[in-house]
Amino acid sequence: MSNDLARAVDRLSRIPGVRGALVADAAAGVPVVESVADGVAGPAVVALAASLYRCAAAASENAGLGAMGPVQVDAGAGHVIIIGAGDLLLVIVAEKGAQLGLLLLEAQRVAEALP
Amino acid sequence: MIRGDLGQLVDALREPIRIFVRDARVRLALLINGSGQVLAQHGFSGAYDVASVASLAAATHASSRALADMTGARRWVYLHHTGRHRQLFLAPFATPAQELILVAIFDEDSSLGLVRLYFNEFEGRVATLPELGTVRTGTSAEDFERELEAGLRHILPPEWLEEG
Repeated sequence: MSNDLARAVDRLSRIPGVRGALVADAAAGVPVVESVADGVAGPAVVALAASLYRCAAAASENAGLGAMGPVQVDAGAGHVIIIGAGDLLLVIVAEKGAQLGLLLLEAQRVAEALP
Repeated sequence: MIRGDLGQLVDALREPIRIFVRDARVRLALLINGSGQVLAQHGFSGAYDVASVASLAAATHASSRALADMTGARRWVYLHHTGRHRQLFLAPFATPAQELILVAIFDEDSSLGLVRLYFNEFEGRVATLPELGTVRTGTSAEDFERELEAGLRHILPPEWLEEG
């Protein structure tokens, strides 16, 4: 299983503009496998991303909107994308210039293939 | 910790513990020293709980440290226990004066990742308090009970202590 996760992270981190790709335990909010560039605080990003995803999922549920899709955070210098995959979360940190369409498509494929 | 400066330290710790509880979204938090002396608390409802958790946490820390020494691990970073509904986080950290131990109990509103993240900030905030700037000598066995009681008297409402 850890090889599968490492391959998933490796696949995402090769996409141009990606500064970090992490698979996390959704409930614990801690990284399971990560590949991050210098300056990206992986454990902190995952802890906060997991919390954000949980809140967003609760909001979606209470609004009667059903299952959650990807959560995308747009910041001044880049983006954080969070995708749920069962007990796992896929968290991607990307630069502002990254091709988000391609990134989202690839990330969803990876998330669907996670064990 | 000597009883004379305990009041100042307890006052200084109120804000860091408030920020930690707010950001990490924990239900209960307790800060003690290696003797089990209570320096700050949040969320406890009676003296009995605080004293019990403080004593058990100090004992857990002591035994974990001894185990780490025996196995060559030298030190342990934190202890995390997952219960059915609540989780326990127990972590020691160094200050210039002495080693302190934070105990946090949280549920599904938080996570281990969040607690670890804000513990690191809490640790940094507390370690730089001027009230903890003095290096302290070791605790003698006879100081243990006196310190535990002094901590409780500074932290808890008087009526809680009367109940006990």
